[in-house]
Amino acid sequence: MVQVNNQQLKIRVKFKKVGRLQYISHLDLVRTMNKIIVRAGLPLWYTEGFNPKPKMVFAAPLSIGTESKTEYMDIRLSEYIEPEVVKSKLNENMTDEMQVLDAYYPETKFTDLKWLSYTFVIKTEGADALLVERCGAALAEEELWVLKSTKSGEAMVDIRPLVRSAVCVLDGDLLRINAHLSADPSSFLNPEYIIKLLRGKCGILSNGDLTSEWYSIMRERAYLDDMTEFR
Amino acid sequence: MKENNFSSVLKSVQKPGRYIGGEYNSVMKDKRDVKCRFAFAFPDTYEIGMSNLGVRILYDVINKDKDVWCERVYAPWTDMKEKMEQYSVPLTAVESGDPLSAFDMVAFSLQYELCYTTVLSMIKLAGFPIWARERGEECPIIIGGGPCVYNAEPVAEFFDLINIGEGEEVLLEICRLYIKMKEEGRYSRTDFLREASHIEGVYIPSLYDVSYNEDGTIKEYRSLYDDVPAKIRKRIIADMDKAPYPEKLVMPYIETVHDRIVLEVYRGCIRGCRFCQAGMVYRPIREKSPETLCKQARCLFDNTGYDEISLISLSISDYSELPKLTDDLLSWTDDAHVSLSLPSLRIDSFSEELMQKVSSVRTGGITFAPEAGTQRLRDVINKNVTEEDLMRSVGIAFRGGKSNVKLYFMNGLPTETLEDIEGIAALSKKVIDEYFLLPKQQRPRGIGVTISVACFVPKPFTPFQWEKQDSFDTLLEKQAHLKSCITDKRIRYTYHDAKVSLIEAVLARGDRRLAPAIAYAVEVGATFDAWDEYFDYDRWISSFEKAGVDPAFYTTRGFGLDEILPWDIIDIGVTKAFLRRERDKAYEGKTTPSCAEHCSGCGANKLGGKNRWCK
Repeated sequence: MVQVNNQQLKIRVKFKKVGRLQYISHLDLVRTMNKIIVRAGLPLWYTEGFNPKPKMVFAAPLSIGTESKTEYMDIRLSEYIEPEVVKSKLNENMTDEMQVLDAYYPETKFTDLKWLSYTFVIKTEGADALLVERCGAALAEEELWVLKSTKSGEAMVDIRPLVRSAVCVLDGDLLRINAHLSADPSSFLNPEYIIKLLRGKCGILSNGDLTSEWYSIMRERAYLDDMTEFR
Repeated sequence: MKENNFSSVLKSVQKPGRYIGGEYNSVMKDKRDVKCRFAFAFPDTYEIGMSNLGVRILYDVINKDKDVWCERVYAPWTDMKEKMEQYSVPLTAVESGDPLSAFDMVAFSLQYELCYTTVLSMIKLAGFPIWARERGEECPIIIGGGPCVYNAEPVAEFFDLINIGEGEEVLLEICRLYIKMKEEGRYSRTDFLREASHIEGVYIPSLYDVSYNEDGTIKEYRSLYDDVPAKIRKRIIADMDKAPYPEKLVMPYIETVHDRIVLEVYRGCIRGCRFCQAGMVYRPIREKSPETLCKQARCLFDNTGYDEISLISLSISDYSELPKLTDDLLSWTDDAHVSLSLPSLRIDSFSEELMQKVSSVRTGGITFAPEAGTQRLRDVINKNVTEEDLMRSVGIAFRGGKSNVKLYFMNGLPTETLEDIEGIAALSKKVIDEYFLLPKQQRPRGIGVTISVACFVPKPFTPFQWEKQDSFDTLLEKQAHLKSCITDKRIRYTYHDAKVSLIEAVLARGDRRLAPAIAYAVEVGATFDAWDEYFDYDRWISSFEKAGVDPAFYTTRGFGLDEILPWDIIDIGVTKAFLRRERDKAYEGKTTPSCAEHCSGCGANKLGGKNRWCK
């Protein structure tokens, strides 16, 4: 149990954010979560100063358009309460598409989280065995150059070191990719870059008809650097 | 809009969170269990519509009836609208995602005149004919309500039914009648509308015939049948302590304009400013008790988790039990980390004590509305505040650490002269002087005064309803003159676009002959006119021309005192004779005391309602 100091206890909440909630930005998630934890009536620790606020910290913020079964948030409490109680109180105040899966007093830091696995499901014109093979080959190349936005504008970056693995399969008329991507804050890889890369190299999702082609991205699990599960 | 194959569209538009629904506290029902599906449509974006108190109240009231499911509909932003048109996706409701054609009723809330084009573009996007007369049995009943319908005439023919006044009871009565007629097997669109016209507060535009004189003025309004009332009296809620108020609020995921608890303290206003429509049409004044308000506030906090409660009314400091209310709220809000805000403070009642109670530490600013620059003109408009009041109030604000003062004024008020305009600049300068009168250690840092000047629009059901609006050129001259009078760099001057105010005046004061012009404007792409980037003056002028409408007829002409006004078929309680008396007093420069001091016999007391002031 992490006793931050005499007044504060840090509890970790693992939650999912799926379905329609993929369209809610990280900033809006923070605002929403603020109200949820207040509604839940938890013994919250408030920041000191002019404008006291409950303290929440999130690991690896999601971008719009990605769902997740493995989000983490640390909340500061002013007194000990059973993790199960935290979980059930929060869940009563959330909708089906956002639910707490686990709550515990953590032993790791968010900076220990190094890798995240994702499932991509892609509905694209011409999804066949050949396309799967081409996508697999494209992701297996020794260098993966994409135009990436960085602090100083856009630049071509080799994301190879940030893609630990990527496997493509054909699932009916859908293209399915499982990938492990970097979650390290200094080299976080937004999974949208995988789509961008394959769009450029293999021409997926480019027939221009937004209703016949689509893709979804699900964040599945979180890992430490040795690929054991992050907790 | 929930299928996978729409996800690419959602990923391609701005703020997709506007379109997804699924909010905490939103009401889901099984559509097989309900007898009437009601869509509450707000003709603006999700962020604006979600902030509207009226919609929040009515959503709650209607959903309390187990036979009716009320859902919400908002106007898709132009990027989404384009995609919906491209892929033939009709307008849908937020909760079920069903197209509006699956509904029995679609009710639009008309909050400002410039939303009319958005209403029509939503009706088109839903796939319905815009003219009520062209709608068949398969179309939902399209309803209009809200503050604009006190003169609904310019848009009357686009609606099957219009709700005049407060909707809590009427809308349910309309739904019950609909369900009853369906169950008894005697429903048809025309029979239903005819019978609905007997409900107080219901106006069925198609049951009236209008004729005009040769000079263009109105000759006669005639109801087509004897059983259809000649005049429609607005509905009010008699007892605000017994009126239903939501215990829960739909919690938006994305940030909305007013993202907080809104506590409605009372309806109506005791003041009677002569330009103000709200001050007349919401009479008589009806207060809630502090006990009711505290209960509602606590309940809403528990169910929402918001950190701010805003006390809403037309003029909060006129609430007769404000000290008790704020004390009772403060007994728990501080510990719960909830702040109070009072958005409608009058200059003459602002006090140090009040400011401390609401010391919303978040903002460094405070806003007051003197409305006019000289005492003479403030007396003409019956504002009943003085320069001393303003100086005392800004002094308190400065000592309390507020360094930014915002002042609201109006240009173009009846009898306004250049002297009155110079008065605005002089008054603003005096506010700055007041700051420097304070000992240095008491002054907050960085004084700034912003003056925001609107253009006067003579609104229906005000003592100024007959007045001329200044011409476009006159307004521009006045704005330029004021600008030349402001020399202090610490005064920031902003003003409304006179073109917008001119169109507003036409739409606010118009009659049924305007409808084709509005329809033309929509045909050539008008929507979201309330947004600067989509307001197109030239498009409006050419639409008026095409429909044979002369805007000057409704603006610079002014209305004759004996003329039949387009809104004369509506009875708001306040009499035309009272409005006329107030107009005459305005020209004499005489003020009228507030309802709390003296009853001036406005006539609204005939509507009943539990209240402290009316005799």
